[in-house]
Amino acid sequence: MWYDEVSKDSDVVISTRVRYARNIKDHKFPHMLNNKQKEEIIQLVENAIDKNKYQVFRLNNMDKITKGSLAERHLISKEMIDSTSGGIIANEDYRLVAMVNEEDHLRIQAFESGFNVDKCYERLKNFTDHLEEKIEFAESEKYGYITSCPTCIGSGLRISVMLHLPGLAKLHLLNKLLEQAVSIGLSVRGIYGENTNGYGFIYQVSNRKTLGISDEEIVNNIKMIIHTIIEQERNAREILLKNSSIELENEVYRAYGILKNARMLEEEEMIKLLSQVRLGIAMKLIPEVSLEKIHLLMNNAQSYSLSTIIKEELDEKMDEIERAKYVREELNK
Amino acid sequence: MKCDKCKKREANIEYSENINGKKQKLNLCYECAEKLGVIHFSNSFVPMFSSMFESKMPFIEEAVCDQCGYTLEDYKKTGLFGCDHCYEVFEDHIDDLLLKIHGKNRHVSQTNVKTKVNSKQTKLEELKEKLEKVIKEEKYEEAAVIRDEIKKIEGGK
Repeated sequence: MWYDEVSKDSDVVISTRVRYARNIKDHKFPHMLNNKQKEEIIQLVENAIDKNKYQVFRLNNMDKITKGSLAERHLISKEMIDSTSGGIIANEDYRLVAMVNEEDHLRIQAFESGFNVDKCYERLKNFTDHLEEKIEFAESEKYGYITSCPTCIGSGLRISVMLHLPGLAKLHLLNKLLEQAVSIGLSVRGIYGENTNGYGFIYQVSNRKTLGISDEEIVNNIKMIIHTIIEQERNAREILLKNSSIELENEVYRAYGILKNARMLEEEEMIKLLSQVRLGIAMKLIPEVSLEKIHLLMNNAQSYSLSTIIKEELDEKMDEIERAKYVREELNK
Repeated sequence: MKCDKCKKREANIEYSENINGKKQKLNLCYECAEKLGVIHFSNSFVPMFSSMFESKMPFIEEAVCDQCGYTLEDYKKTGLFGCDHCYEVFEDHIDDLLLKIHGKNRHVSQTNVKTKVNSKQTKLEELKEKLEKVIKEEKYEEAAVIRDEIKKIEGGK
């Protein structure tokens, strides 16, 4: 699947997501609907899409582990794990996934690995334009596309880029850079963990403003800013390599050693170690492992996804044992 | 001491009130005190009435969405609106809110440029025709309103 692949700028950018928020005209927003009314929304959308290309899944027919593993790949939001009245529309390779009855009737998302805003935008726009021929979206001349939360109104467009920034972090330059990003209208949050900083040096950077700004402007702004961050991260890695090459090599190989040998592995520890190894691979310090393998492990060895592979629900201890085993086997293949 | 209200006559009534924790002390003359209703009621009643009036103000204004029954209070609780009609019903408040969030409160169309430009142009033409008509009929107030609308659309291009 695309999320295990490697693409443009993958040394720094893990993935790109571009999404539209849309609602159906003259209908209450999802949080105001009962389950029967929500089902009607799913049917309206189902009738408007090309069923040869897209599949519709209803969350009430889907077990928690499957929903969880989709959320771990960031294909759906965490909120959808507990939903029994939402829907998912997906194309064959999951590069286009729409959530139905999340915060809005439709959250349509297009994904690519690496830094690929244009590809995502094109696919998103194409799908949404076709849908708009069949469904009348809630829209006004004044406010643009109407959304349940006023923070998404207007274009309804949000571009999120998942960045791996260990170089800047190791040089203690990360906080300053992220503060700057926030001050010019971006939002930044850690991907893993509960607090906004998270762990594993993996951050999601996205545009905050959606009103009074065109799609094209949002796309161009994000591209420009992310390119700058990518350059900064690469510079930081160069400096690390020049000034503390052996320390860096030591650090990434220690992480690799633990992953290859541990008998029990917590999810948080695994992500942190994989993040170190990812840096080592991107800097060509660990030639025998590929970035694809790291992506595969990050996706498959989180709790829900691990359960889908082992095909049983795991308690805490078994979860750690099975994770260590899976990672070990994958890395020693 | 002169009366705090008319600032002319001698004050001979000391009147204090406490509305929602905000203390106010007034020195009034008989006439002003009577106009304000102070001497007809005991001091404890007056603040109660005035504070009731104050707290009632928002309720008089409060609008309810015709489609989903939402009020602004509901929005404050959830951070979400109830449906697309809310944005028309609460327009006055939403303009300020959006300005705070986005720094702007007007949409710039980009997607589906063609259809939107067309609909804007037809609206412009309609308005311009209407403007000519009302000017001929010497309805200048109406003309001013239409002119503003035209400016708005042209400015939003």
